Amino acid sequence: MEITVAELRKAFTKAGYITDEEVLITVYLSLKLEKPLLIEGEPGVGKTELAKVLASVFETELIRLQCYEGLDENKALYEWNYQRQLLKIQISKEAACGDDLEQNLFSREYLLERPLLQAIQSDKKVVLLIDEVDKTDEEFEAFLFEVLSDFQVSVPELGTLQAQQIPMVILTSNNERELSDGLKRRCIYLYLDYPSVEREVAIIQARLPDVGEKLSGEIARAMAVMRADQEIRKKPSVAETLDWAQALLAMEKDRLTDTIIEQTLNLILKSKADQKAFAKNIGSARLAEAARAEK
Amino acid sequence: MGVLVWQRLHGQKSKVKDYLEVNVVRFIHLLRHAGLRIGSGEVIDALQALTLVGVVERDAVRIALKSTLVKRPGEQAIFEKAFALFFGSPNKREAEEARYRKKLEQREEMLDEANEELTFQGQPLELSEQEKLVYANIPEQDRQKLRSFIEKTAAGKNVDQHFHPILESVVKGSLSYWRKSLRNELDLSKTPQTGDEQLNALLDSVGRVDRHDDGSLLEEDMQNIADKDLPRARALIRKLARQMEVQIARRYRQSNKHKRLDVRKSIRHNMRFGGTMFHLRYRSRRIQKPKLLLLCDVSGSMARYASFALQFIYGINSVVGSIESFVFAEELERVTPYFREGDDFSTTMLTVMNESQEWGRGTHIAPVLQALRREYENILTGQTYILIVSDTKTMAVDDAVQELRQIKRMVKDVVWLNTLPAQDWQTARSVEAFSQVVRMYPCNTLSDLEQVMRQKIIN
Repeated sequence: MEITVAELRKAFTKAGYITDEEVLITVYLSLKLEKPLLIEGEPGVGKTELAKVLASVFETELIRLQCYEGLDENKALYEWNYQRQLLKIQISKEAACGDDLEQNLFSREYLLERPLLQAIQSDKKVVLLIDEVDKTDEEFEAFLFEVLSDFQVSVPELGTLQAQQIPMVILTSNNERELSDGLKRRCIYLYLDYPSVEREVAIIQARLPDVGEKLSGEIARAMAVMRADQEIRKKPSVAETLDWAQALLAMEKDRLTDTIIEQTLNLILKSKADQKAFAKNIGSARLAEAARAEK
Repeated sequence: MGVLVWQRLHGQKSKVKDYLEVNVVRFIHLLRHAGLRIGSGEVIDALQALTLVGVVERDAVRIALKSTLVKRPGEQAIFEKAFALFFGSPNKREAEEARYRKKLEQREEMLDEANEELTFQGQPLELSEQEKLVYANIPEQDRQKLRSFIEKTAAGKNVDQHFHPILESVVKGSLSYWRKSLRNELDLSKTPQTGDEQLNALLDSVGRVDRHDDGSLLEEDMQNIADKDLPRARALIRKLARQMEVQIARRYRQSNKHKRLDVRKSIRHNMRFGGTMFHLRYRSRRIQKPKLLLLCDVSGSMARYASFALQFIYGINSVVGSIESFVFAEELERVTPYFREGDDFSTTMLTVMNESQEWGRGTHIAPVLQALRREYENILTGQTYILIVSDTKTMAVDDAVQELRQIKRMVKDVVWLNTLPAQDWQTARSVEAFSQVVRMYPCNTLSDLEQVMRQKIIN
């Protein structure tokens, strides 16, 4: 696929990812400049989904590195298959062959490739998703931006391994901590916010065409009201919007009423504290009214 | 710098005559002065991005510059405003420049007025630019009072130039009061200094954007946070607590990296492989989490501080061993059970406030500390940190100090989070008395609270 903004728009829509010009142009720039794309935003706005869509649009593999506290190079880049090496030593002892054993033990055969190395060594241009990078330690982050600026890694026993194809790199962050300037400098940046009511209606319509236009609008407006409440901690995500729409579809409802909202509230707000905050600040009746009030 | 970059990208032959390239660089200059951190690598990216999207579509240019230059959510609003002004219609820019010129003239007039009117025996008072601006903005009748006070003092018997510094500090004190009262109406920001008049005008306008919504709340005295901002303040506390939790949890986890080989366990475990060490076993350090005992003064105006401190401490409950909380005014009252019922924080606080007898009474710390020592001896252990949130204003300071000394011997440490603004410490005797016994830190803003917890308690 030729990389242009228009082509990306077409392909994203075809894949059911409804988005705006800002996202499209930013993704386009990241691809053309071959720079990692750092996406920040609240949980559930579609950061990870963007990487999946890119992989499907370019019909390529998605390699995912899920970050967590304590993630280190061994889990992200490579490690030697220690157990296999030991077995080889045991077998060699009995077979009494040993001259080139050491060389063999540190060959590709004993190398366990982890996501970063897999992406660099892939023959095809892949999408490398480094998910929730804000959960890693600062030292791992420093190591990461070394890899991302040169797209090569050094394995002491094998030498430097250069990327065959520069992967499309997507980093996501929930903004739980500020990432270093070094990492940010190397990336194109995109802040993804919750979709506007109009865009959320379009998303529902694209994913669940059976949900009527009226109900889609009501769902989207209801979601916007809930997300605007400061006391609701876990704001409902786009995935939850779709779950809710699907549930309403299964219940054969075509309008939002306070009773339906009460019956299905636990699909959107999943903690006792959030449900209490909702009851206190908004309430089902007011939400139904706000949802039905078309601008 | 940017011009050189552009020349490097397009060869030396390309002369930077077109206004676009120069304008992009000037725009970046404006953003940097507005507080955005933009490195030279990002300037190159921005210019490359512009060559890719072209310069015909205004929106594409905006997105290209935004995605390469703006890397923090809090900077987005500044960028949008700066872009709209800088690349907006010339009329709008000229209007901004005219507004800025007028503002500068008015400012100069105000400073001249203050210089002329605030003199002591013919000598001008040494006041900062901001103090002079405050003076110029207070109501005329109050200015008149201040002037007549200076005149009367200057005309007094045996009053000579030695009185100059004393009078100056009295005037400064009065202006400081006015500064606090007028803080929402006054613009005391310094004039922009970009070295370019046009950019100064734009920066003055961009600078008025609330750069980081949370920034102002963080530095606001907790007592002055308006009721309408309370939900935002609570959300901010949750965010700060969460960020701190993540960092602390990471640090604890990191210490596991220095794990040591557990030889005994490794040998035992690998017996089944004939002694070949297939699976290594490690020892890691046991983590001692601090036990916190929170003592919150809820007398009179202290309630707001107590509420914020409690929310913050309970927000980081996963990284502390246990939390015991008490409120006090004249007597001690244990409120820990309220926080175990699983309600959201606002509801819990409301229940505590409704059911507590202490809320809003006068302060008497000595019997409170005595009650803590006698009735809760079992929780005053060598692992306990006591955090006292109070402005130190109490009856019988000396008795309270004695009690505090005794308690300090029983626990790991006592830290006093003093909600009295640091500038008032020197005049309060109680501050001096208590700070001789325990560590005391100023804690009247959310930023103070977060810093003191991070740097002094959890470390």
